[in-house]
Amino acid sequence: MHTFRLISIALLVACCLPAVRAQQPAGKAPKIPVPTGNVRSKSPAPGEAPKIQIGKADKFTLNNGLTVIVVENHKLPRVSYQLFVDVDPALEGAMAGKKDLFGDMLAKGTLTRTKAQIDESIDFIGASMSASASGVSGSCLTRHTDKLLEIMADVVLNPTFSDDEFDKSKKRSESGLQAAKDNADAIAGRVGNVLRYGTAHPYGESMSEETLANIKVESLRTHHQQYFKPGRSYLVCVGDITRATAERQARAYFGQWASGNVPGHVYDTPKAPAQTQVDFVHKPAAVQSVINITYPVDLKPGTPDAIPASVMNTILGGYFNSRINANLREGKAYTYGARSTVSPDERVGYFNAGASVRNEVTDSAIVEFMRELRRMQTEPVPESELQVVKNVLTGNFSSSLEQPGTIARFALNTARYKLPEDYYEKYLQRVQEVTARDVQRMANTYIQPNNAHILVVGNKDEVADKLKVFSPSGKVNFYDSYGRPIEDKRMAIPSGVTAQKVVDDYVQAIGGTAAIAKIKDMETKSSIAVGPGMSLAMRTAQKDNAMILVEMTMNGQTLNKSVFDGKKGVSMGQGGVQVLEGKELQDIKEQAYTCKEMLYSTKDYTLDLKGIDQIDGKNAYVLQVKRADGKETTEYYDMQTGLKLREITVQDQGGQSITLTNDYADYKAVGGMKVPHEMTISGAMPIPLKAVVSEVKVNQGLKATVFSTN
Amino acid sequence: MLFMMRTLLIIAGLACWAGSLSGQDFRFVEYNLDNGLKVILHQDHSTPIVAVSVMYHVGSKNEKPNRTGFAHFFEHLLFEGSENIPRGEFDDYINNAGGYNNANTWYDRTYYYEVLPSHQLALGLWLESERMLHAKVEDVGIETQRQVVKEERRQRMDNQPYGRLLEESMKRAFSVHPYQYSVIGSMEHLDAAQEADYKQFYADFYRPDNAILSIAGDIDIERTKKLIDVYFKDIPRGKGQVYRPNIVEPPLKGEVRDTVYDNVQLPALVYTYRIPAQGTPDFYAVKMLSMVLSQGESSRMNKILVDEKQMALTAGSFPLELEDPGANIIFSIAGMGVQPGDLQREMDAILEDVGKNLISETEFQKVQNQIENDFVTSNNSVAGIAESLANYAMYYKDANLINTELSRYRKVTREDLMRVARQYFHKDNRVVLYWLPKPKQP
Repeated sequence: MHTFRLISIALLVACCLPAVRAQQPAGKAPKIPVPTGNVRSKSPAPGEAPKIQIGKADKFTLNNGLTVIVVENHKLPRVSYQLFVDVDPALEGAMAGKKDLFGDMLAKGTLTRTKAQIDESIDFIGASMSASASGVSGSCLTRHTDKLLEIMADVVLNPTFSDDEFDKSKKRSESGLQAAKDNADAIAGRVGNVLRYGTAHPYGESMSEETLANIKVESLRTHHQQYFKPGRSYLVCVGDITRATAERQARAYFGQWASGNVPGHVYDTPKAPAQTQVDFVHKPAAVQSVINITYPVDLKPGTPDAIPASVMNTILGGYFNSRINANLREGKAYTYGARSTVSPDERVGYFNAGASVRNEVTDSAIVEFMRELRRMQTEPVPESELQVVKNVLTGNFSSSLEQPGTIARFALNTARYKLPEDYYEKYLQRVQEVTARDVQRMANTYIQPNNAHILVVGNKDEVADKLKVFSPSGKVNFYDSYGRPIEDKRMAIPSGVTAQKVVDDYVQAIGGTAAIAKIKDMETKSSIAVGPGMSLAMRTAQKDNAMILVEMTMNGQTLNKSVFDGKKGVSMGQGGVQVLEGKELQDIKEQAYTCKEMLYSTKDYTLDLKGIDQIDGKNAYVLQVKRADGKETTEYYDMQTGLKLREITVQDQGGQSITLTNDYADYKAVGGMKVPHEMTISGAMPIPLKAVVSEVKVNQGLKATVFSTN
Repeated sequence: MLFMMRTLLIIAGLACWAGSLSGQDFRFVEYNLDNGLKVILHQDHSTPIVAVSVMYHVGSKNEKPNRTGFAHFFEHLLFEGSENIPRGEFDDYINNAGGYNNANTWYDRTYYYEVLPSHQLALGLWLESERMLHAKVEDVGIETQRQVVKEERRQRMDNQPYGRLLEESMKRAFSVHPYQYSVIGSMEHLDAAQEADYKQFYADFYRPDNAILSIAGDIDIERTKKLIDVYFKDIPRGKGQVYRPNIVEPPLKGEVRDTVYDNVQLPALVYTYRIPAQGTPDFYAVKMLSMVLSQGESSRMNKILVDEKQMALTAGSFPLELEDPGANIIFSIAGMGVQPGDLQREMDAILEDVGKNLISETEFQKVQNQIENDFVTSNNSVAGIAESLANYAMYYKDANLINTELSRYRKVTREDLMRVARQYFHKDNRVVLYWLPKPKQP
């Protein structure tokens, strides 16, 4: 239900970071008064608040420059280690994603161990180990720590990046990129980075199929030689370990690591957009929109603004009862959860406010987000709300200290960002000192509703148009799933073109009303390949705009036969006979017409010309057709030839909606009327089915008995 | 709400490993109030915080077939307030005290907890007792949470690649037992629910004799007992027996095969094998077999499918922790260009091998070591300890398993692993799902 705790802790860790240990005299819990009388009517009085005493993590440096941090906690017989290499990010350009590949390969073979040997050794001692671009971490029971460290050190000092493992890693990455294409959150994360930081900053780069292909294995080896040096690295030891053991282990396993200089880089600090813009990534068939309102902020860890900015953000969207969640979830029920983040960073930080919301409320949700952002700036926060948030931050902070890993992270960050040694000891006090005025000042510094990217990953057809109102330029920018801009190919509808005109032009294009009227009956045979050496035969017959038969056979066996005799419609399959009713009856009745589009001018149909889209490179009018019984189709008519290219219907099948797409091609004249000789049906089966017409006969005098429903 | 694949993996990895190891001893006090409420207390002064939790022995399994999703929906509603707590203020109390709270629902149980600074223990007790005695739900809350749950379903399942994996698997693996329904349930059923349904569900299941109050952290045992008396002693015992479905699912008797189309890019292959209930000797064996298959980079599926043959992007096996006979899910997501049929051949070969050949002594020792490590890693927070104690007491009627469960794994032999591979991981006992990309939309 509530997901805020982790977020707020991550936030705390990011902005305030020293070494602490909560301690209490052993065996003494706070004395809590036992209430009497009417105990239910009000909340009980608390006991005296326990004092949070602060200890320090141990820290020392080896001769080669490696900093070692030790946090002792002997509650459980296990130790976790992190060898963190503080790599200064470099622009990777055409090889974007190099770092990711590097991290993926780091633990996949050393000078003396194959990948399989590494895996076997780690698993055998029941340990866990994982590598990334910034080093390696692992944990195990106390009695196995030397074995684990031996491998961790080998992986950091002697990786080989073999050609064989490189090929595997590349292949895995390709699959990973492919898999992420349907993951709206993954897309939003990646595109958000591109929008915030731009591709001229390392934070804005991400791997694509193209850049992956450019990465050479040599570049990974070079990267290792250049950046993996002890002087920018930390060994963090947490758990059932003493300082003496940590010293011995650090020297034994990392003492021989040769020191050296690493390259540094400076980049222009990314700026928020000059005015708010709406950025859209289309995810076909999405049922929710992932909304992220985001931009870079200049906020560094440990600076005077870090704590008040975190208090401000917690009020806005940093805990369960925050304004954003209270409004969008508990008030409006637009989402399962909405939140915001102000993330400090030594180079460039970011602001983000986001939620996943159902398609139809996407624009309303953005209205509420923007309302809350502006309210933070214009109204001072009430004292009571401010106090609650201070309590939340204090409580989260205290309980996060239960994990010794938190304390280690604080120590690591104190060292990395050169924070004052008492930064944390002062943390709770600093939180208490934040005033309503500070909060408003922070809101006016770090909340920028007029300079934001409103990024939405969702269903373009249902959502995108409604978002123009949030863009001062009136424009929605479209991107692919890597954040590369794509042009919106939709053109404006030429003046004078109406829905009815599109239909009339179509009727004209296939031969005109007079020619169509001359066709009394028509019989079509086509075949559909469904697999190697397997095909379905389809026969359709129509008569007098009133009767129709559709029959599917395979190897002479009838699979299904649907008939409408002018009054009654039935579908006969291997499961028996089903009498058609409702929409299905209307559907088959409609199909009995030689040209059903001629019905569109009757009162049973409503037409709406939606715009112009592209079908296989052809510009086409998009026409929405609504039948009186509620059935909807979207039809695409070629702007040039007037012919119908596509028809889309959404059908309900067992509670799941299935989108059926029929594409028409290869129009040929038969008896004065143009008939498509190729039809591709997508959506019914995992692969599109292509029906090819082999024979069309008209006016052969079909008898009504052909259409018998008995 | 716990029902996502990843959550399950975490549960599979952590939740059940609590056992006993030399040097580790979780002491606790356990007793019952007259109204049937079981109380478990564990004292740990190392951090000045306390976890207060109540586990109700009701999950989606106890729902009526025309009201699926009700248990989880109810979990949402029980944050709305009580006779003494106006709508929405439940969370305010927690926030104000500097605590946090959460809840989750599973097939067999519903679990509520808050973690508070230790001097706020009484607040946690008051809130939980209000929830148990006279929770109050207003129409506006019901409507709001209905929508929120629908969004939860969209976010976790419908808009998430492979998000319906468990739902689609279980509905084919079970035909009469309520495990066939997903925990989040049917949105139509939630829409159809009436006020009488809520009242009945609350009276039927939210009662002290169907709950465990489990508290761990910086507490004084004697004082805590006094406080518990103040808030819980007068809550009346429930009326009649608690409904527990006594439904025996017949064997599958033949492989069930089906195809699911989803908005995914890479096909996946999902097997669901029917297995015995948690806590049975064979369950422990199945769980260890699952570790042989997928725990760690050197496990069979990771080594063969992901690394050597490069056929899968990822692969895993995990038994669901269920109190009635349940299921073990084995899945793999195909690498680019890999046909699901080819992947199936490889997966089947791996599964056949563990049924035909004993695993080596070394591999067996590896799994033993992994179990020991996982056990020590679990229960590393007071919140985790409170939950483990409640789980053991509720499902196994033995909270002390938090110290002794490891001995149950120790009884499993290599021969057992081969036997359960044959007995449960065979074709006639499984559902095979081909999880395929939906055809391209316009």
